[in-house]
Amino acid sequence: MAMPKNREETNGRKKVRDIYEFIRDNLYLNRPDIRVGDEYFNSALLFSLLSALNRGKELIIGEPGLGKTTSAEYVGAMTYRLPLGLIWASEVSGHPEQTEEKIIGRPDLGRLNQGEEVVVWSFLAQLPVKIVDEINRLPETKQSMILDGVDRGNWEYLNDVIINEEYCLFATANYQDRGTNTLIAPLIDRFDVMVESGHPGPDIALLIGMKDRHENVLRSPEYERNFQEILLERQDYHEKMHLVEALCNRFGDHMEKEFHIKMLSKTERKRIRDCMEKLPFDLDANAFLRTMIAELSFCCKYGQKRSDEHCEEGCHYTGFLCYHIKNCISNRFPTSVRTYSQSLAWLMGDEAVSIDHMKAVLPYTLAHRVQWKDEFISQKQAGQRRDPLQIFMAKEMVNEVYRRYNEQGHRIKNALAVAYQALSGKDLEPIEGDHPIYVEIKRDIEEGR
Amino acid sequence: MINPFEDFKEYPYEKKKIPLDRIVQAKEKVMEQIVEGYLKLVEEEVKDLVWLVEHSRLIKAYSSALRTIQKIDYDIDDIEELCLELDKGDRIPYLISGPAGIYLAALCNNAKEEKIQLRLHELKRAFHFLGYRLPEGKTLILKGNAGDFIGASLSGGKIIVEGSAGNWAGAGMIDGDLVITDNAGQNTGAWMSGGEIHIEGHIIGIGKIIHGGRIYHRGNLIRPYETTTR
Repeated sequence: MAMPKNREETNGRKKVRDIYEFIRDNLYLNRPDIRVGDEYFNSALLFSLLSALNRGKELIIGEPGLGKTTSAEYVGAMTYRLPLGLIWASEVSGHPEQTEEKIIGRPDLGRLNQGEEVVVWSFLAQLPVKIVDEINRLPETKQSMILDGVDRGNWEYLNDVIINEEYCLFATANYQDRGTNTLIAPLIDRFDVMVESGHPGPDIALLIGMKDRHENVLRSPEYERNFQEILLERQDYHEKMHLVEALCNRFGDHMEKEFHIKMLSKTERKRIRDCMEKLPFDLDANAFLRTMIAELSFCCKYGQKRSDEHCEEGCHYTGFLCYHIKNCISNRFPTSVRTYSQSLAWLMGDEAVSIDHMKAVLPYTLAHRVQWKDEFISQKQAGQRRDPLQIFMAKEMVNEVYRRYNEQGHRIKNALAVAYQALSGKDLEPIEGDHPIYVEIKRDIEEGR
Repeated sequence: MINPFEDFKEYPYEKKKIPLDRIVQAKEKVMEQIVEGYLKLVEEEVKDLVWLVEHSRLIKAYSSALRTIQKIDYDIDDIEELCLELDKGDRIPYLISGPAGIYLAALCNNAKEEKIQLRLHELKRAFHFLGYRLPEGKTLILKGNAGDFIGASLSGGKIIVEGSAGNWAGAGMIDGDLVITDNAGQNTGAWMSGGEIHIEGHIIGIGKIIHGGRIYHRGNLIRPYETTTR
């Protein structure tokens, strides 16, 4: 008998929460640093989990040895029913000598000797959980090699191509040192969120130090071998993925039976995503996001923000974010905010996405995407804080925009409602006010009429 | 084309409000009350569409007008606006000169302002009874021609007509000044018992019965006749 849909949803949510709690209590020990509603979470773990469920892309920053890669590995293993050893085998490390052949695929040399051009795809390209370790050690010229793969799950080598149906990507980055490079703007924009895997504090650090690092319940050498055999087989990618999926299910059953650890099947992941995507946004969340985007893209002088154009002293909008940033926010930003807010609202069991969900998600979707002006950074960097500067500034910025929205939320919603009516043919004048959003709405009305 | 504001389709919106809109709206409301008051007066007073100028009817109409306007918060502009409305007849289906004048006079007499100036020179018709019972302390300046019975029963106020007046100007006035810069019609100052009338233009006729007060023509006293010793 089919399970009622809402019970399925509740079970899915419980399973995801169990995964979070299992990793939090056993594998990735860290402090909670983000509050959503009445609950506290660890941001690195929470966003890794949401990225895995969402088919998202997460950039994890932090000092060496503070669990950037391991948090992603555990989450990837448990949400995709993959043994930990297989995830390790598929990981790619960033370094200056890294090549396309190691990251994406190589020619099958035996077949090439026989005159056939066949690609042997890397595990990274084939598996749904992709981890690129120390991505900022890849030289800037080589970062563009993975752009398409990161963005669309589209991997090309020679004349062959594979497209991942379902995948998530985790990349780790150390803080700047002599061996690191800047992440190129197109690559960094493709990450949905950026989180820090911070130090857990001396007490939890001691607990971690006392654990046997060679023992891990998520490892299974036997299953790892079986997975590798399938992935190395010379057959059609989609057929291989069916075999991988079947093996994932067997591994999941094995883990549940032997260790009482419940992992997510492909069907469950899809069902969860369907539920998340159906969650509506309440009007305040909707208007708040528009307000935020307006501040991050508006320029009263040049029509929009552009990295090569600088606004001048004395602009009327100096109190807004547009005056403090260099670049224009991309269209990937609202997509990231939407998917992560929906998934967070789903995880919390809420009926709709509210401003609270959005406020929790926004700093992490913005931190890596905003290029602040140097003078603004100098104002902020010396202050007391717990987060890395980028995330700290993003949090401050979200609070600032929220304060402005709080003051004029009703007026903004009214302006949007009037705009709808005006574009539907009613003879209404756009609502005016002291915020870039009103100017943008007015422009849409004028250009849309 | 996609409407990017679709999510706000159901949101109850309010139109843009500019200060002028609010003023216009408030003015409209006041004007509606004033017009309504006038129509009520007409309904009460002119049941058979005939209105005769009789002393008792005047008093009754004036009292009724006073009751009607008591709760209306109007100013001079509204009185002037009513004159225009009465003249155009768009909003007011019928104009009965007597009650209209009495109503205007009641509005003037009870206005907050002490000095009232009405610009009437562009109007097609001249209103009767303007300045009826204008009390002491009030000045009514009419720019343009006035109708009959201007300043009738004037009670201490001052009326300046910058134009001509019709018949019966200052009829029955008790006290105050009536200045007419142009001509005056028949029976000017009839039954007056006090106050002064000054006329700068021609006078067609002076009232036969005058109980008191003075009438000056171009600065010369013409009523009562100066007694001279021969």
